[in-house]
Amino acid sequence: MSDRVQDRAPPMAVAPPSWREKMEPWFFILPSVILLLAIGLYPVIYTLVASLQSWVMGMGPPSFGGLQNYAHAFTSSDFGHSVLRTLVLIVITLPIELALGMMIALALDSQNFLVLRRLLQICLVIPIAITPSVVGLLTQLMFNQQLGIINHLLGYIGIPALDWLGRPLSAYTTVLIVQIWEWTPFVALVLSAALSTVPQDIDEAAVLETERWWPRFRSIQLPFMWPGITAALVFQTAFTIKEFDMIYTIEKGGPGTATETAVMQIERMAFRGFDVGLAAAESILMLVLSILLARIYIRVFYREMD
Amino acid sequence: MKSWSLGLATVAALYAGVGHAHAWSLKEASAPYKGTTITVVGLDRPSYKIAQQLTPEFEKETGIHVHWNIFPYEDTLKEETLNFISNSQQFDAILSDVVWPVNFADPGWVLPLSKFTSDDKLADPDLDLKDFFPVWLASFTVDNKLYGLPFDSYAGLLYYNKSMLKAAGFDKPPASWDELENTYLPKLSDKSKGVWGYALQSARGETQTADAFARFLWPWGGRFIDYDNKTISVNAPNSVAGITFRQSLLKYMPDGIVSDDHSQVVQLFAQKKVAMITEWSAFYPTLAASNLGDDLGIAPEPKGPKGGYSAFGGFAYMVSSQINKKHQDATYLFIQWLTSKAMAKPLIEGGAVVARQSADEDSSVQAKFPNLAPMVDTWEHSTVPDWRPQLGCYPRFSDIVSDWGSRIELGQVAVQAGLDSMEKDLTGYMKSSNCWGKINNPEAAMAQYK
Repeated sequence: MSDRVQDRAPPMAVAPPSWREKMEPWFFILPSVILLLAIGLYPVIYTLVASLQSWVMGMGPPSFGGLQNYAHAFTSSDFGHSVLRTLVLIVITLPIELALGMMIALALDSQNFLVLRRLLQICLVIPIAITPSVVGLLTQLMFNQQLGIINHLLGYIGIPALDWLGRPLSAYTTVLIVQIWEWTPFVALVLSAALSTVPQDIDEAAVLETERWWPRFRSIQLPFMWPGITAALVFQTAFTIKEFDMIYTIEKGGPGTATETAVMQIERMAFRGFDVGLAAAESILMLVLSILLARIYIRVFYREMD
Repeated sequence: MKSWSLGLATVAALYAGVGHAHAWSLKEASAPYKGTTITVVGLDRPSYKIAQQLTPEFEKETGIHVHWNIFPYEDTLKEETLNFISNSQQFDAILSDVVWPVNFADPGWVLPLSKFTSDDKLADPDLDLKDFFPVWLASFTVDNKLYGLPFDSYAGLLYYNKSMLKAAGFDKPPASWDELENTYLPKLSDKSKGVWGYALQSARGETQTADAFARFLWPWGGRFIDYDNKTISVNAPNSVAGITFRQSLLKYMPDGIVSDDHSQVVQLFAQKKVAMITEWSAFYPTLAASNLGDDLGIAPEPKGPKGGYSAFGGFAYMVSSQINKKHQDATYLFIQWLTSKAMAKPLIEGGAVVARQSADEDSSVQAKFPNLAPMVDTWEHSTVPDWRPQLGCYPRFSDIVSDWGSRIELGQVAVQAGLDSMEKDLTGYMKSSNCWGKINNPEAAMAQYK
């Protein structure tokens, strides 16, 4: 015991880190921190401050208005309806996008359909690559009752020309269809990436165990996919809440306010009505809603597999 | 060939003042500003296209560089307001819609033109303000001060398909809205053949407010605002009568008209699916270039029970007050040149619409451009400068009108109930935004120019 103690080298005196050594890590991350603060935090703080002001551009300088903009936003049926339309858009499109995205991801994962896999990979990129405003303009043309190709094609199977964009419900349905078309490929790609995290040995063992796809999917693939599914949900919810250009170019939120989502209503308040204070308050409320939904998704769906 | 002749006309215009007594010339007036670059706001419309084509002649003569900044109409007020709010001095020549003068003049963002017209070095002796139609000068006059020189000036016109009307037994267009509805439309509409008598652009936004709402307010005696009593009058009996009439026309229009904007309606008319439309005079070049050929007929808009009140819209150029004096002077010289009498004909030849009496009333020009005669008739007899109100809070005001106007047109709410709600929202907004103190009534300035 004592030999051991004697063998042990005397502890070396470690000099305390110098100021420069202490600060060195901070210097490395400082540019990123400054950038994040400038492009992330500053606009949020600016919006927060604006939301507490009575500020209509061109009608005099801003003045402190307390919470009156928030009170106005909460009692405004205009804003309330636009939030409701946004939530309905999320509730309807998200499950469909997930279901279709999952089917595409599984098809891509299948080794048996190489041609289908290549074809799907090409097709998936197309909707993502097209600018949303171009998607909106194409929708406007394709779904036009008199001139559009959709009604023309429906005519071949005996369906009379539908007034896709002229009535509130059908216009909203059109937006749903186009939204699903535009974003399903993105969900499919995210889920495809999640599917690739399934360990190959476990998956092969499952294939040896059973030829049925459902038990393999439910017990082996799905548990590994939950983080990917959660990410898809969070991203898609944020994308849907922010969706502007596509819906705007279809018919500016019309007919009436039938397709006006919350972000469009906020833009209308800020840049058509110039009520910056109210628009800022509504933006903050939508940010809170977005964070809240993301937290719920993470709490309900997020599970990690070892 | 066309651009060559336009160039010649412009050069002639530039030298038009040479023979004048004291020989004011653009070249001499602009000498101190040589090398200055000015930024001009424009729209993606025919008048601005030809203006851009002609601009090099101005640059060559003056040495002043002109940079055009083109926006879609919907974004123009936003861009210009942000320019002023942030004092970015991004734009020198400010484009004002007929409903925006008070938005720019009230905060002092633009300069009264007297600052320049009283300066002998800058003012062209041939400016001849009286050559502009009075209704246009009144429109850009705030507190008895003229702020803008009209450019790209419109009147609402009735475009009709001569062959379709002839086939239905009509050799002339309807003179009144009543005649249009009861005599013409039943014979011109055949839904089974996909043919409609009339189409009204009604898309949400300024199109709904100006084209689909105001058009049916004035001819029935309706008004947006009662200036004397400072009240909103969109739900007064006359207003209700006009909007009720609009609803009665819907059965003769294509389905989905509530979502159609100018481009769709013009397209339907050009494709001979619609016999008549009421559209801005600025659409003449588009329709003249379509397959309609000799079938294209143009007339003033039909009259209502209270007379003729055709749609009135258009723009003027103003000088920003936030830029330095050198830029202000150079900008004024450009605006003065662009809106001059001498430039009017070359502009019209290139597809623009201008508010110069000498050019618009010229019989040789009218013979080539059939949109001019009804346009002149409208500006002289059948419209008012406050066809849409001039308010400091107009953007949101218009938004409320558009919102309820669309709901009424969709049938989501009855006419009276919808107009009552519109009145309630407008009254509330006018009060909360202190907008009653930011009103300009251009009608009051009409006497000044007549």
